[in-house]
Amino acid sequence: MKVLLADDAEVVRMLIGRFVESLGHELILAADGIEAVEYCLAERPDMVLMDMMMPRLNGPEAGRQIKAAMGAHWIPIVLITAVEEVNKLADAMEVGADDYLLKPINFRILEAKIKAIERTVELNRQVREQAFKLANYYDRAEEEKQVARHLMEQLVNRERLSDTQLHTWIAPAESLSGDLIAAARTPGQVLHLVLADGIGHGLTAALNVLPLTQPFYAMTERGFSLPDILIEMHRKVRQVLPAGRFVALAFVAVDFAKRTLEVWNGGIPELRLYGESGALLKRWPSRHLPLGIVSQDELELDLERYRFDGRANLVLCSDGLLEARNAEGEPFGAARLGLACAGYPAGEALARSIDALQDFLGDAACHDDVSLAIVDLDPDAALPLPAGEGIGKLPEMLGEVRWRYELSLGAAELKHLHTVPLIMGFISQIRPLAQAHADVFLILTELFLNALDHGLLAMSSDLKSGLDGMEYYLQERARRLAELKQGRIDIELTGHDLGERSLLRIRVSDSGPGFDHRWLQEPDSTRPSGRGIALVAALSASLRFFGNGNVVEACYLTRPSH
Amino acid sequence: MSAIVEVAGQTGRLLLAGQFDFSAHREFRQACDEILASTAVREVLVDFQQVDYLDSSALGMLLLLKEKAASSGRELALVNCRDTVRQVLEIACFGKIFTIR
Repeated sequence: MKVLLADDAEVVRMLIGRFVESLGHELILAADGIEAVEYCLAERPDMVLMDMMMPRLNGPEAGRQIKAAMGAHWIPIVLITAVEEVNKLADAMEVGADDYLLKPINFRILEAKIKAIERTVELNRQVREQAFKLANYYDRAEEEKQVARHLMEQLVNRERLSDTQLHTWIAPAESLSGDLIAAARTPGQVLHLVLADGIGHGLTAALNVLPLTQPFYAMTERGFSLPDILIEMHRKVRQVLPAGRFVALAFVAVDFAKRTLEVWNGGIPELRLYGESGALLKRWPSRHLPLGIVSQDELELDLERYRFDGRANLVLCSDGLLEARNAEGEPFGAARLGLACAGYPAGEALARSIDALQDFLGDAACHDDVSLAIVDLDPDAALPLPAGEGIGKLPEMLGEVRWRYELSLGAAELKHLHTVPLIMGFISQIRPLAQAHADVFLILTELFLNALDHGLLAMSSDLKSGLDGMEYYLQERARRLAELKQGRIDIELTGHDLGERSLLRIRVSDSGPGFDHRWLQEPDSTRPSGRGIALVAALSASLRFFGNGNVVEACYLTRPSH
Repeated sequence: MSAIVEVAGQTGRLLLAGQFDFSAHREFRQACDEILASTAVREVLVDFQQVDYLDSSALGMLLLLKEKAASSGRELALVNCRDTVRQVLEIACFGKIFTIR
């Protein structure tokens, strides 16, 4: 240690100085208070030993000045005092001195005191060093969080949440949210919505939900269905996250045109459907384990389907909302949420729910991430069928064939291939069709399903009518598809160059016995099956059936490029 | 949270009390290691009688315990789950992979 010794008596300086040096410390000598302050600033000793009474500036005042000048840097000051000065000591210690030694000096005590101070100095040094490290660490962590937050926002595509039918709110407990809301439309305009909740909160939880975003957006964009996307998300979560980590998730697919809803809930509090009057129409409690727990083939994929006729609000939230506690330790709960949002238009319902939560919490903070999504199930929100006008008449000559894509599928392939998304993967690479993905997806889907369902599986559309019709139809279809032994579907696509427009010819033929297709050409829009072909007819420049109705050809014209 | 281990014959009971969340990580892991180290134990009971709250991190810890118990051939059951605890376990559908009594 570097020790500063201040005393006006040379004898004392010699005596104590020698002793301090004999203990192995470096010594700085000062003859009075002014010198003591001066040397302190210049030499920054580790401790100061100082006489109470000195000429020019006394010990207590010098001590006060040293402490003031050193600020946050702590220098212990020990005053050396005679018994008769003891009553001044209290004042001195209040303004800066840390300890005292009585004259005559007992060297045994002096040594012990220096050692004690040495320990305190060392402790002080460690604390300061750790505080400095901590401050550095904090700055770096903040910076990293900024980067992480930016990355997260890019990955979750926040702007895609701006769907006309969707109202969402996320309030992270820390700077990053472990809750995720992601939404996107398929090329067929089906709204896919995911509300996910990773373990814990903050960065680790945010990292848990990240693997979901890529398959969700990429596969929705290509028109994959909910179960296929779910399988992929589950695979991703299992592959990426360590054991004991999982993601609770609710996945909803809303087809506004067909007015149907598909729900899969694994570990999210029950989803609720409120009618326009505020009545609770339906609940979807969690029926499955969260993603990432069971093995790939144990994942349960059965969806709950629902048909909505009137306008209604579908409400999803994470447990962080229901579990948010006020100062009294009471949870917010589903009843308060219902009261706030039931019977109001979706946007208002969301705002009212946020207000209700904030009123309820008062000054209390949420200890978990909170997320809330409300889907406005408006039957009129379905995009109207595109008008046939403006598409233009088919030219006499189709022009030069620029490319041809042919696919021929047997029964085995039809059972497990995702045919339409597969073809869309190719279509997405064709430049002239860049603006036409949604249309092409719809035409392909309808023609392919028509060939498979009616051509090969001989499904009757009448099965779809009735309350549980859709459910029954899908079950029956799955059964027949599983039993399909033979049959073939051929798909041929050709691209033609017509100058400023392009033409896509889609020909789908099946090996089935054919059917009376005349009724399909005079579609009855009240029949669910007729809607599909009516849609294709509206989108295409021409739609023709050949043979027994087992060959169909649609020609699609791109809009003129400007 | 506190975690107390009681071994009686072939049954090892893990008595938890308080808030079972991420902050309970260390206590829970130590208690689990202790109970699984006892070779006499054939059945592990996690007793939630005194637990008033558990969060998703706690569910994660239970999954890890399940894995450890299974790999050493022990039975595992979650017992005395009351209101809040039962509700959280139900939402996560843990009844499908855990014995809950």
